[in-house]
Amino acid sequence: MAINWTWEWDPFREFERLQEELDRLFEWVSPFRTLRGEEVYPRINVGETENEVLVYVFAPGMDPAKIDLSLEGNLLSISGERQAEEALGVEEVRPERYVRRERFSGRFSRVISLPESVDPSEVSAEYKNGIIVVRIAKKAERRGRKIEVKAA
Amino acid sequence: MAERKEIARREETRPEARRRARAMVPPVDVYETDEGVILVADMPGVGPETLDVRVEDNVLYLRGEIAEVPGEEVRPDYVEVRGREYFRAFTLGPEFDQEKIEATVKHGVLRLFIPKLETEKPRKIEIKVAG
Repeated sequence: MAINWTWEWDPFREFERLQEELDRLFEWVSPFRTLRGEEVYPRINVGETENEVLVYVFAPGMDPAKIDLSLEGNLLSISGERQAEEALGVEEVRPERYVRRERFSGRFSRVISLPESVDPSEVSAEYKNGIIVVRIAKKAERRGRKIEVKAA
Repeated sequence: MAERKEIARREETRPEARRRARAMVPPVDVYETDEGVILVADMPGVGPETLDVRVEDNVLYLRGEIAEVPGEEVRPDYVEVRGREYFRAFTLGPEFDQEKIEATVKHGVLRLFIPKLETEKPRKIEIKVAG
């Protein structure tokens, strides 16, 4: 059973309900936009296991060579550029021929702070289906340890 | 011509086409060419095997599921993307050839080409020089 990315206790739940109500009010509200209407690109989820911290960067339609990732201490920086029109696959893009234009285009830069337990010397990243998965080991002393319960 | 470009203007709001609870709405670009319409949708996490594009009763349905989600051993710390499914629907105008829609997905971006029927394509009229 895959984890559903929701919290047991969720301070944003109220906000989400509000969002759903807004969805009904307006034609639609994209999850890729903030309430003020600007787009967030890329979106980021962070999770952790006993031994590593995992960062999921939702960056569809990128050339992996054009993604800059760097980790300093527990700060992960992600920057790069995406030209949304490249996905059209047309020789010459004529702006007046757009009927709708919602996808993010241009330069982006985000910095997120990760749990203090990360060990910046052990990082790997993989790009698959438009999601970058960054895996960072935890410092040896900060890893969860299973405590054996001995029978008396 | 302009008033018939339904794909551009009207998103499907009939009850059966409404997005299911918690499904995410992918942002789309729609671009018109002489040959048809190109629709591009950002659906990060969706691969060819979890993408479902279909036309029923002149409604184009885009559905996708994030192919790989973290297992139970991963505890969420910070979440901006909730949910696993994408859903969006558009009404197709009569000028499109529904049988010939082409779909590709790459790096989580869906690209659809929806061709116009031959009769709907702009025709170049040759001007003969009199004389």
